[in-house]
Amino acid sequence: MPAALDAIIAELRDADRQERIELLIDFAKNLPALPPALAARKDAEHRVEECQSPVYLFVGVADGRVSLHADAPVEAPTVRGFVSLLIEGLDGATPEEVYQTPADLVDHCGLTEVLGMLRVRGLSGVLRRIKREVARAAVAEHDSTSA
Amino acid sequence: MGESYAHPEALVSADWVQEHLDDPKIRIVESDEDLLLYDVAHIPGAARIDWQGDLQDQVVRDYINADKFAALCSRNGIAQDTTVVFYGDASNWWACYAFWAFTLFGHKNLKIMNGGRKLWLDEGRPVTREVPSHPATNYQPKGGDEAAVRAFRDDVAAHLKASRPLIDVRSPKEFTGELLHMADYPQEGSLRGGHIPTAKSVPWSRAVNEDGTFKTVDELRAIYQKDLGLKTTDDVIAYCRIGERSSLTWFVLTYLLGFDRVRNYDGSWTEWGNLVRAPIARGE
Repeated sequence: MPAALDAIIAELRDADRQERIELLIDFAKNLPALPPALAARKDAEHRVEECQSPVYLFVGVADGRVSLHADAPVEAPTVRGFVSLLIEGLDGATPEEVYQTPADLVDHCGLTEVLGMLRVRGLSGVLRRIKREVARAAVAEHDSTSA
Repeated sequence: MGESYAHPEALVSADWVQEHLDDPKIRIVESDEDLLLYDVAHIPGAARIDWQGDLQDQVVRDYINADKFAALCSRNGIAQDTTVVFYGDASNWWACYAFWAFTLFGHKNLKIMNGGRKLWLDEGRPVTREVPSHPATNYQPKGGDEAAVRAFRDDVAAHLKASRPLIDVRSPKEFTGELLHMADYPQEGSLRGGHIPTAKSVPWSRAVNEDGTFKTVDELRAIYQKDLGLKTTDDVIAYCRIGERSSLTWFVLTYLLGFDRVRNYDGSWTEWGNLVRAPIARGE
């Protein structure tokens, strides 16, 4: 797992319930705005279907590094915060590191206890989507460099 | 000005709430889909009651019992005679759900704030992050109105046999069976798609405006009485996926249109669509 993500998990695990909520709210506030070129491409192809709110994800792999951008509504701070956490933890990682991120990351962060079972499954869907997109982008990059 | 709702006292405006922020006989309660919203900002003095963490039993698929309900009310400073005003995100789905759940325990004097959380914020009204601490009460539950407002699967089966009206308030694709869950809610799917035979499809969203407020009584009558042919004396059961969207429809039929007997089937499609040999209809 990338060191950045490791540090985030450790911070959340050490926090109590209210601190976890505050951390997630901070992540939600700090989600970087999409670059204009991507903001113009918020379409069905980039929409994360697993989320109840409109979340858009842009995943690229260049020179063996993953780049992540995302947008999620301010009215849905839980998913916005989690997406922001994933970007901070995984942007710049290698594709292998992203694959190795545990599928139950939400539990690792102690968020299931805070949010409840029914709310966290959509969050895990975001991570699954990132892994799938990274795999696709990594294969595409491999094909283009070996061609 | 059109006609007023059947029970206009059950719906209050943001203005009304703002005038009653310091009224000790009134408790404002936020209930949201997104748990963090209350922590981000809420109406000054508002308490949070969470449909999942507070109102549902954490082991059995059911609501909390009367003792836990009493404890929940007591710690939020709600007495038996406190007027509780609910508001929340998603056009007040969860506010209506909490209203309905409070009805199970026989609490009277419940209200919904029209337009919910979004309208309050859009109008630039005051918000805070401060969590209030209201003096605890010693709530004595009256014991409830469950039979009047809650339908179980056997009630639904009996309703079906007696050809009484059922309303399915889910999205059209969930109703026809194309989707096993509401678009974007894959975690709450069922093994079979479709709807309870004879149920009429009236998506919950038809009852609300873009800004999250409820439609006028004339508009609502046109939907449920004219188009659907229901009468206010009908015995109606509404359902959705887990009973939250149908709580909104229950509120509309009961309080805004004055139907005598409306029950919410909270087992909804996540129960019916998983029940062995339960009859299911597909398509329109």
